[in-house]
Amino acid sequence: MDTAGPLWTLKLDGGLVPPRDLIGGKAWSLAQMCAIGLRVPAAFVITTQACAAYLRNNELPAQLRAQIDAAIGWLEEQSNRRFGAGPRPLLVSVRSGASVSMPGMMDTVLNLGINDETEQMLAGECGDPEFARDTHQRFLEMYRKIVLKGDTGAPVPQALRDQLYAAIEAVFRSWNSPRARRYRAHHGISNDLGTAVTVQAMVFGNADERSGTGVLFTRNPATGSAEIYGEYLHRAQGEAIVSGTHTPEPLDGMRTRVGEAMDELLRAARQLEDLHQDVQDIEFTVERGRLYLLQSRSAKRSPQAAVRIAVQMVSEGRIDPDEALCRISPEQVRMLLRPRIAPAVVHSAKVLLRGEAASPGVGVGTVVGSADEAESRGNSGEAVVLSCSTTSPEDLHGLIAAQATITELGGSTSHAAVVARALGKPCVVGCGAGTLQTLLTQTVTVDGNTGTIYADVLPLEIQREAADADLAQLIAWAAERSAIRVETAAPAGVDVIDFDHLARMGEPGGLARALELIPPGSSVRGALFAQDDIAAEAAVRAGVTLIVTSPRLPALLVCMRTQRSGSAQHDTTL
Amino acid sequence: MSRRYEILHALAIKKQATAADCARLAGVTAAETAEVLRVAAATGRAIERDGSYLLTPLARIALESDYSRQFDQVRGDHGFVDAYERFERINIELKTLITDWQTIDAGGTRMSNDHSDTDYDLGILDRLGDLHERATEVLDELKKRLPRFDYYQIHLEQALQKAEQGALEWVSGARIESYHTLWFELHEDLLRILGRRRSER
Repeated sequence: MDTAGPLWTLKLDGGLVPPRDLIGGKAWSLAQMCAIGLRVPAAFVITTQACAAYLRNNELPAQLRAQIDAAIGWLEEQSNRRFGAGPRPLLVSVRSGASVSMPGMMDTVLNLGINDETEQMLAGECGDPEFARDTHQRFLEMYRKIVLKGDTGAPVPQALRDQLYAAIEAVFRSWNSPRARRYRAHHGISNDLGTAVTVQAMVFGNADERSGTGVLFTRNPATGSAEIYGEYLHRAQGEAIVSGTHTPEPLDGMRTRVGEAMDELLRAARQLEDLHQDVQDIEFTVERGRLYLLQSRSAKRSPQAAVRIAVQMVSEGRIDPDEALCRISPEQVRMLLRPRIAPAVVHSAKVLLRGEAASPGVGVGTVVGSADEAESRGNSGEAVVLSCSTTSPEDLHGLIAAQATITELGGSTSHAAVVARALGKPCVVGCGAGTLQTLLTQTVTVDGNTGTIYADVLPLEIQREAADADLAQLIAWAAERSAIRVETAAPAGVDVIDFDHLARMGEPGGLARALELIPPGSSVRGALFAQDDIAAEAAVRAGVTLIVTSPRLPALLVCMRTQRSGSAQHDTTL
Repeated sequence: MSRRYEILHALAIKKQATAADCARLAGVTAAETAEVLRVAAATGRAIERDGSYLLTPLARIALESDYSRQFDQVRGDHGFVDAYERFERINIELKTLITDWQTIDAGGTRMSNDHSDTDYDLGILDRLGDLHERATEVLDELKKRLPRFDYYQIHLEQALQKAEQGALEWVSGARIESYHTLWFELHEDLLRILGRRRSER
């Protein structure tokens, strides 16, 4: 700290990682990267204590402004750029960061520091006047929307310092936005915590031929195999990945262009996976051959990858079986075990139509042309597939009764897609205008995973949990730890209360009432305990000692989760 | 416009609904709505099934053919039409948002969101809250002409709050008056009022 007094600004200089509640979650993860020697774009934090000072007076204290100015000076040194001056202008991002995330906080402002003069300098630096102009325009739009809250009467301040102060104040004010207050009130988060602000130098992946931007997964997020996976965009800024204006190349392409940065990236990837002991999704930018890490977080992964990686990481000694079980959700297991069309059959099957895969799963049935028909025939026990030009809320009863839904028009955001996903039913959309009429009365197999409609009933392959080595391992670990037994068949001589029967009666609220009736120590049977987490949890809370259901793993995971939350509650009451 | 017409219009939007549900949407008392629907059923304009009503096909056509006359004034109201067009622009965002809510991207493959990542969900709820603030401004405009739109404003707000409080099904649950269900009804309502067609792009 260069100023005595309150802890209002902190440089992320690779020293000790400051407490999370002082600098917020985002800056904390940047500080962690710095602490293991990784290079992130230079950044400083305005602390939650400064937030409290601001909120007391509704203005930035003079001393805080002085600290911010000094910290900007430090960013200039670190980045070898100047704020509002040339030859290389410093642009910064301003982002909010509380120790816990919540809705209603201010969005990130990027590229603060650009004005008419620095736009020219940036144009010269990147050799791309259009990029500089575009950056300037987008900054102004973003500033008006986020800092001025769309108030068209309010001018954007001329001086860059004033823009910076105003953006910081806007972050602090957003702590008290109605949505943020409402969220904190409901979740019991103190209003006194406050938010921090991270101010970070922008780096430019489009600066020259030795620049670019990309994303790296430390393992393959689709299959779970232990290989690096990612994309690199040569000479592009980060937003280009999202906007789809550039076509990324596989990460290997980076090696030929910026080999040293690539080696450094691979080392960083290993370090970050070691630090978090989980698969990381890393965003990075290379500016003039120098690697900068922008963000690292636990990677989103397919159910298959989640299971493979959890088991692998135990065998690598990174995590213990308890942690592995925590990382798998019952829903992921169910997704993994969903029936699929037998691969051997797919090649010879007759494809009737292809559309956009909108909701996963496979559905088989006779094609009907209206929601009413789907409902009447579906409810009398027939398997039907609903086909429509498009769907609307009027068709909900048809979507519920059908095994699958197919539409002629619309994409993955259309009504049919949204509702099918909400119902967990297969759906293929956008097959083309006028294409579905010919399918009426035919029996089809709809594959919502690939967006294909096949003729006839195709044989489905049931996925058995015990046949998968990784799932079998997870089941074994869970069974050792669960206080409640979960089996696919009842042991001989045990009385088991049948809940499938109850489910078939379809009595509302029947489950809860039935569970109240049974004495603790009972054994129960029912498919719903594998399919519905709330049902399984209710059974655990009712004190059952044996659940007979299949597959076993989802119910076992619910048992463990309920056990954990139960013991946590117990601890707090002691 | 007659209250009877409002009630039948509400039934057309909901397709199959109880008198109480139609009453809330139409902004008419439950007693009057029940009576209108009872008469509609007695005169062959509606069918009653287990306490729920639905319009007969002929009554539906009669209702729809009268829209241009019934909503003549609204259709000529620039403030209302401008607000509707703003709604359409927000609607594009909402559709993307709901898809992002239901699915996640794992290295280029989209898959069902199992809602195990609280930060991811919070990010989307944050976007929804932001979108809702803009939708509220649009609804304020629409309400100047049609006060019953208050129904949407109140219930959208409630759905959002329930979701923020952790009851995640209130974002896009299909069987409840979730944010998406209400939003879609509101859209349907507007399309009927203005005589527009839905574009599924």
